[in-house]
Amino acid sequence: MSKRKWRVGTVALVATGCVVVLAAAPGVPARVAPETTSATTPTVVIWTDRDREADIKSLAEAWARPRGLTVQVIAKAEQNNVRSDFVTVQAANAPDVITGAHDWVGELAANGSILPLSPRQAVLKQIPKYTRDAFSYGRTVSQLYGMPTHIENVGLFVNTQLAKVPKNWADLEKQALAFKKKGGGRVAIDVQQGTGGDAYHMYPFFSGLCGYIFGKTKGGALNPNDVGLDSKRFIRNATLVDRWNRLGLVNSKIDGNTASQLFTSKKAAFWITGPWNIDTVRKAGIKFRIVQVPAIRCRSVPFVGVGGMMVTRFSRTHGVESAAKDFVASYMASAAAQNTLTVKNGRYPANTTAAKSVTDVALRQIGQAGAGGVPMPNIPQMASVWNDLGLAWVKSTRGAGATKAQPSFRAAARAIRQKIKG
Amino acid sequence: MSTTAAPTPSIPPEPVRWSLPARLVTAFSGLPALVLKIVLLALVNAAAIWAGAHLANAEKWPAVGALVVATVAVDVVFLVPRRTLPLKFLVPGMVFLLAFQLIPIAYTAQIAFTNYSTGHILSKDEAISTIRETSLAAPPDAKAYTLAPAFDANDELVLLLVDEVSGNTYIGTRDGLQRLPEEGATVEGGLVTAAAGYRIVRGAELFALDRELSNYRVPVEGGAVRPEGIDGAVELRPTLRYDAEDDTFTRIASGRVFRDDGEGSYAASGGETLEPGWKTTVGWGNFSRVVNDRLIRDPFLRVFVWTVVFATLTVLLSFALGLLLAITLDKKFRFQRFYRTVFVIPYAIPSFLTLLVWAGLLNDDFGVVNRVLGTSIPWLFDPWWAKVSIVIVSLWLTFPYFFLVSLGALQSIPGELVEAARVDGAGPWQVFRRITLPLLLVAVAPLLIASFAFNFNNFNNIFLLTGGNPPTEDQSIAGSTDILISYTYKLAFTAGKGTDYALASTVSIFIFLIVALISAVAFWRSKSLEALS
Repeated sequence: MSKRKWRVGTVALVATGCVVVLAAAPGVPARVAPETTSATTPTVVIWTDRDREADIKSLAEAWARPRGLTVQVIAKAEQNNVRSDFVTVQAANAPDVITGAHDWVGELAANGSILPLSPRQAVLKQIPKYTRDAFSYGRTVSQLYGMPTHIENVGLFVNTQLAKVPKNWADLEKQALAFKKKGGGRVAIDVQQGTGGDAYHMYPFFSGLCGYIFGKTKGGALNPNDVGLDSKRFIRNATLVDRWNRLGLVNSKIDGNTASQLFTSKKAAFWITGPWNIDTVRKAGIKFRIVQVPAIRCRSVPFVGVGGMMVTRFSRTHGVESAAKDFVASYMASAAAQNTLTVKNGRYPANTTAAKSVTDVALRQIGQAGAGGVPMPNIPQMASVWNDLGLAWVKSTRGAGATKAQPSFRAAARAIRQKIKG
Repeated sequence: MSTTAAPTPSIPPEPVRWSLPARLVTAFSGLPALVLKIVLLALVNAAAIWAGAHLANAEKWPAVGALVVATVAVDVVFLVPRRTLPLKFLVPGMVFLLAFQLIPIAYTAQIAFTNYSTGHILSKDEAISTIRETSLAAPPDAKAYTLAPAFDANDELVLLLVDEVSGNTYIGTRDGLQRLPEEGATVEGGLVTAAAGYRIVRGAELFALDRELSNYRVPVEGGAVRPEGIDGAVELRPTLRYDAEDDTFTRIASGRVFRDDGEGSYAASGGETLEPGWKTTVGWGNFSRVVNDRLIRDPFLRVFVWTVVFATLTVLLSFALGLLLAITLDKKFRFQRFYRTVFVIPYAIPSFLTLLVWAGLLNDDFGVVNRVLGTSIPWLFDPWWAKVSIVIVSLWLTFPYFFLVSLGALQSIPGELVEAARVDGAGPWQVFRRITLPLLLVAVAPLLIASFAFNFNNFNNIFLLTGGNPPTEDQSIAGSTDILISYTYKLAFTAGKGTDYALASTVSIFIFLIVALISAVAFWRSKSLEALS
C-alpha cells in the first residue's frame, strides 16, 4: 500500500477510536444550566477534618434522615486545610457547612464567604455569651457568624507527686525555682516556645501582667488601631519578665516536643498546655491537677479557642440555606449533639447543659481553668500579631543574651502597628 | 602478478546477541507500534474533546483555545510524515511543561495584576448582595419569632409565627403581618402545630421550599421579618441603602455615602470601607508597592544577598564533599559497597523528617549536639549561628546527590587521559585540576545550575529548621535567615490583614525573573565547557 494510503488509514482509525472512546465515556455534557433545579433530595455538603469526621457524619445523618435530606461529609486532613481550601474554593465544589475555629471568622466574614446566623432565644440561652462573642464579627454591626460547639484553653498542669498546687504566684515561683535547683536538667515552669515563639501558650503570662492585644470600641467590637502590647500598665509590669529570665523561671529554648518530654519524664513539675495532652500525661502515669495560672498583677487568664460550625454563602446558591442554618444553629447547638461531638472526644462543650455532664475530672478542671478566658481576636489583623508577640517573648526569655522586656515589647507593638497600617 | 595471500576463510559473523531492551524495541516496531500509536492518539483526542466540552460549558474560552491548539499540534506531530521526528520525542515533555510550568506562571502573573486578598475574593455583584445582606440588623426593639411555614387555601406560602416573648400568634404574608386569633391555632412547645384553613408544611417538602423560604419577606414598619432556618424568624432592618443608578451605598442613620473607589471596595470620603470588597484588576499597583513600600523594600536586599549566599554555599560545599567522597570510594576496597550505601541515606530519608529532627538536635539547652560537644552554642537562636546551622543541615541533605552524580560522571572520564597525564609527569593534584575536574564539569554543570535554582527557592530547609528566625533587631517581617521565598510567604500570610495572594504572586514573579536571569547567564557561561569535550 502506498505511504499516502497508510497515512489516511491511520488518521481514519484514530478518528474512529476517538469516537468509540467518547461513546463509552461518562457523558459529554450538553448545554447544562449551572443551577439545575434537581428533583432529587437536596444534599448538604459538610467539610470537616479527619478527627471529627466520624462524629459529624453520625450527627449529620441523624439530623438528615427524619427530615428527608441527604448529607455528604468531606474530611480534610487537618482543620487548617478546611480553612485554606475554603478561602479560594469555586462554587461547584463548595461546602454548605464547615467546622472550624472562631479566629477564622474575621477573615471569612470580611471575604463575605459565611452567612450571619440568628438562632432562637431558647438556643441562645444555652450557649455562653463570650463564646458567641468569639464567633461574632462586624465593623459597625456585630453579627453572629457561627455556632460554638467546644472550647479549649491551656491550663497549668501540676504534678501532684512532685509539687503542691500553688496558692498564688509567689508560691508557684518559690516551688518552681526550688524544683529547678535540684538540677539534673530540671526546669522551673515548662511552657513551649521554640525559635518561632508561641504567643498562645504565653498568653497567661501576658494577661497576668495586665496586657491586652486589641482594645474594644464603644460598640464592643475589636479595634485594630488600639494595640495594647505597649500599654502603660503592661510596660510597667514587664520588668518582671527580666527577673524571671534572670532566675531561669521561663526558658524560651523549650519547644513543643521538649516541653512534653520534660513533664512526662518528671523533669518538670509545672506544665502549661492544653486538653490535647491530657492523654499523654495519663499514659505516663503521672498524677496531676489542672488549675489556672495564678494571678500575677492581674488575673492570668488564658486564650480561649472556640470551635464551632459555620454556614457558607454557597448554601444559598445550592438551595439548602434554611437546611444548613437549621443544622448549625439549631441541631448542633443542642446539648445532646454537643455531647456526642465534644465530650466523648475529650473536649469541653460550649453548651452549658452538656458541660454539666462532663465526667472526666481533668476535662472539668481545664474547663474551669478557662474561666474568664479571652477569646483569641478573630479580626484579620490578628495575623500580624502572632509572630511579633511570640518573638518578643522569645527574645526576652532566652536566658543568657536576652533582650530586656520593655524594648522587646515596644518594638513588637511598633512592628504590628506598621503592618496593620500598611 | 598479484600476490595473494591464502584466501582468508570467510568466517560467518557471530550471531549478535541483542540485549533485552533492544529485542523489546524491535518486537514493538512495525504493526504493534502502529496499533499502539492509534490507540493512544485516539485516547488523547477523546480526552481533549471531553475536557474541551466541559470547559466550553463553563465558558472558559482561553482554556479551550489552549486545549485546541495543543491537541492539533500533537496530532500534527504524530500523524504527519517524518519532518517532525525529533518533536515526537519532545512532545510529551513539552505538554507537561505547558501544563505544569507555563500555565501556572501565566495564572500567577494574572493574579499579580489584581487585588486578590482577604476581603477581595468575590465578584462585584456578589459583594453588593452580601453587603446588603449583612447590613441588616435587628433593631433595638426587635421581635423574634418561631416559625411554621404553611400553605393557605390558595396554595400560597405563608408564615405562621409565634412571638417568642409575648406568645402572640401571627400570620405573615408577602403583604404584611396580621394577628392570628388564639382559637385559630394550636401552639405546642412554642411552635404552631395546627391552624384552621392552613396546611402546615412538614418533612421533606419543607426543604424543597428552601429557596422560596430564604427569599421570603414579610414587610413590617421599617424593615421586614424573614425566616431564619426552618423554625425561626427575625425582624431585621437595613442600615445601608443601595442606589443602583449611582452605584453607591448610603448609611441610613448618618447619611454617609460609600462609592466604588476603583480598588475593589466601597469607600466613604473619610476612608471607611464596607466589607466585603471584590476582586478587581489594579494594574501595576502591586509591583509599585513592592518597589516603593519601605516595609517590603527594606529587607529585600538583605534577604536577596543571603539567598544567593545560601544557595551558592550549599551547592559548592555539597559538590565538593560529594566529589571528594566519590573519588575516595572509586577504588575497590573492603566495604566499598557498604560505605556507598551509607552515604546515600541522608538523601533517601524525606527531608521533612530530617529537618524536624535536626531542629530538635540543635536545640541550645536540650539538644544532643550541644550535649555531645559539651558546648552551649546558640545554634538556632543567634543570627550568625542560625545561618551556619542552615548551611550545615543543607549540606547534610544535598551531598549524597552530588556524591551519586560524581560517581557516575567519574566513570565517563577515559582512563587513558589520566595515564597519559601521569606519564607526562603530572602529580595527583594537577591530574585532578586539569583533567578530571573540567571533564567532570561538562557533565555536572547543568546539575549544579539546577541545584542552585532549587536551593534558591528551598522553602523547606529554612521554614522547618528555623522558620526564618531568629528575628532581626527591628523585628521586620523578614527574619535573619529568611530567603526570598519564605519572605514572600510571610508577606502574604502573616503580615497585615489576613492573606494577600496578589502580593505573594507579585513577589514570586520578581523571584522568577531573578532566578531565570541567573540560570540563563550560568548556562551561557557553561557552553564554553563543551569546547573541551
